[in-house]
Amino acid sequence: MENHVLVNAMGEACPMPVVKATQALREMTEAGVLEVLVDNEIAVQNLTRMGAGKGYAVQAEKQGDAKYSVRILVNTPPTEAAPAPEPACVPDARGDMVVAVGSSTMGQGNDELGATLMKGFLFAVSQLPKLPKTILFYNGGAKLTTEGSASLEDLKKLEAQGVEILTCGTCLNYYGLTEKLAVGGVTNMYAIVEKLAAASHVIRP
Amino acid sequence: MSQAKQLRLIVTFPTTTEAIFMEKTCRGSQLPGRLIPVPRSISASCGMAWCAPTEAREALEQAVQAHGITVEGWYYVMI
Repeated sequence: MENHVLVNAMGEACPMPVVKATQALREMTEAGVLEVLVDNEIAVQNLTRMGAGKGYAVQAEKQGDAKYSVRILVNTPPTEAAPAPEPACVPDARGDMVVAVGSSTMGQGNDELGATLMKGFLFAVSQLPKLPKTILFYNGGAKLTTEGSASLEDLKKLEAQGVEILTCGTCLNYYGLTEKLAVGGVTNMYAIVEKLAAASHVIRP
Repeated sequence: MSQAKQLRLIVTFPTTTEAIFMEKTCRGSQLPGRLIPVPRSISASCGMAWCAPTEAREALEQAVQAHGITVEGWYYVMI
């Protein structure tokens, strides 16, 4: 069984989750997974930055209301010589931008190419220095948030960092995907229009 | 901010069709990885690349050879 270290930092404000995680990391003598439970998105962002800064892969997932799991995949245990940067409380990385995804493909032309482009687009969104506030999925876009979508990993990571992922309920129903939603919540046209109207700007792939 | 940077193997292709064929081949053979836009550190041009764990190189090289996939380059990039 893999070496699994669990740190419960629920209810703790920055910098405590990062401090606790850094300490647990220092005590790990063999490769394994350091899982940190936190209750806010800013902590997810800070832990992701800490793990990434040490060169580890990081997975993050929203597990419930105010419950997030950050898994730092420690492929090699930290060495004594590794510098320990001061934990920093960085302000929220989300902006006021909204991404509106109205299709499972990007652009018009060839659908196979369009699906490939859309996968690349959502990956690149997850790499933005300033993340969107909300990503809306409607019509064929609903296929991207449901079981079998190749973008689920990227979308779950975005959600765990506080990006609101919302899919049009009418569209899920139309495509028979209501029971297959795999990330984020369900929304309606009023909320979609309100989110678009309140956005600083809207990106439509 | 926030992406988890780690050393990844990046395989680039002369055409997008070839990249999509790589994806189909790897899915069919259960080889690890995914298509991503070609990282800017490799090329400024628009294209898709196969991104995989570094240890998968040998298996991917075998698949590339077996299926006659034309590869442009093999890179290691922090992503």
